[in-house]
Amino acid sequence: MSDRPSSFSDAPTYQTRGLGITQSNIYEVFKTKLMLNLKAEASRTYLGYLWWVLEPTLYVCVLYLVFNYLIDRGTQDFVAFLLCGTIPFLWFSKTIANATASILDSHVLISSLRIPKPFFPLLIVFQDSVKQTFVFTLLFLFLLLYGTPVSVNWWYVLPVIFVQLGMIIAAALSVAAITPWFPDFKFVVPTGLLLLMLSSGVFYSYQTLIPEARWDTFLLNPMANLIDNYRRVLLDGVQPDWLALLSIAAFSVVVSIIVLSLLRRYDATYNRLVIQ
Amino acid sequence: MTSHILDLEAVSLNFSRRRLIPDKTPFPALKKVSFSMVKGETLGVVGRNGCGKSSLLRLLTGIYTPDSGRIVRNYKNASLLSLSLGFDRELSGRDNAILSGMLLGHSRDNVIRHLDEIIAFSELAAFIDAPIKTYSTGMRTRLGFSVAITLQVDLLLIDEVLGVGDVRFREKAIQAMSEKITGHQSVVFVSHAKTQVSKLCDRVLWLEKGQLMEIGPTQQVLACYYAFLDESKELIV
Repeated sequence: MSDRPSSFSDAPTYQTRGLGITQSNIYEVFKTKLMLNLKAEASRTYLGYLWWVLEPTLYVCVLYLVFNYLIDRGTQDFVAFLLCGTIPFLWFSKTIANATASILDSHVLISSLRIPKPFFPLLIVFQDSVKQTFVFTLLFLFLLLYGTPVSVNWWYVLPVIFVQLGMIIAAALSVAAITPWFPDFKFVVPTGLLLLMLSSGVFYSYQTLIPEARWDTFLLNPMANLIDNYRRVLLDGVQPDWLALLSIAAFSVVVSIIVLSLLRRYDATYNRLVIQ
Repeated sequence: MTSHILDLEAVSLNFSRRRLIPDKTPFPALKKVSFSMVKGETLGVVGRNGCGKSSLLRLLTGIYTPDSGRIVRNYKNASLLSLSLGFDRELSGRDNAILSGMLLGHSRDNVIRHLDEIIAFSELAAFIDAPIKTYSTGMRTRLGFSVAITLQVDLLLIDEVLGVGDVRFREKAIQAMSEKITGHQSVVFVSHAKTQVSKLCDRVLWLEKGQLMEIGPTQQVLACYYAFLDESKELIV
């Protein structure tokens, strides 16, 4: 199980640098695999790439119909409010759900070649992010069409998106790294995501539901904080909370570096965990 | 400068049935295995199921690292000739060949340069742009084999792949293997097929329950191995 030597005198020596996917071609392989995965995914359906636009369009339509016609929740502002919460949240939750077993499920590849383990969750992250660009475009179109006042501050949504991408990378690497050690973890993740959804203000405004004394605690949840920042920028037309964004970005970078170094340190152990 | 491409000294590999807390008495997959290979040699590996053949190949590719002992590799890339490496059913044979070649450690340009050769060897020209979900198992095997055999690697590791495909392609594959072997290609060849091992290998290594029983000239080791198998059968009867 352990890749440590059984005794010092028996210390194993091996050179594995250069075997399997090398540092020089890993980015090329990653890029090719990313493009081919997207192509393969599109070819599984009749409408192919169109679904990248159709799926979020249908989603927006459903929310619009339900909250504008069926439930008299007032105005389209509420639909915009919901979209600014659900779209970022779904990006996070879908990616994390897909990344959870990404290393464990790649046993065929892992049993045949030496491949850095971050390859698998990062591939999921970028695959989902490519599709997410269409979803965000649609969100901006919806906001424009329904008269949300456009502000120059809308540009600040880009740093918010990039900080969220950083957080998704950190979370995807973490869950993917845990699952091979503890396969039961993949059953815990959906519950965790549900809890996160309910505690992030996706469907409600924390300012109206939560006592003011607890706002700071609520915003310690990075997902809640990001959703709040999306709404500040897109709906209120103000600047995001830069300190909060910086904190989330720094936290994500630290977590990513730790997980990446652990995945690198225990690479051979992961091979055994996945193959056995 | 040594002409050895590979040296294993008392290499042991243990498996554990549990993940978080390792077993106190882990299952030994390889026990103090030592041998060397010279450049250009073809080494056959024989043994019963579960004797450690695949674990040995994974050690050589660097997928596993030994728990104890020493491996000295004098090669840059070792390719485990696995069928359909990284194949995606939805993608065409062409896309899969490119991806598979890249996963074996080659650059995209290099794979594309050899693509015509790969397609010609696989005899799939008419189907190469169709998704491989429409291929038969034999066709997929042919494509996988063609990718690995066409692209040059320092050490080629083959695990039971020549037994798949139709008779004609199998002969062609063995022929291609023989050509590689007579060249400068170093090969580790795992197989249960006695004729193929006899025909292709310079030396044979016999593993039993993770232990190296014998290594030496092909006919001599095969004779010992098959005598052992006959003996085991008698014991079971």
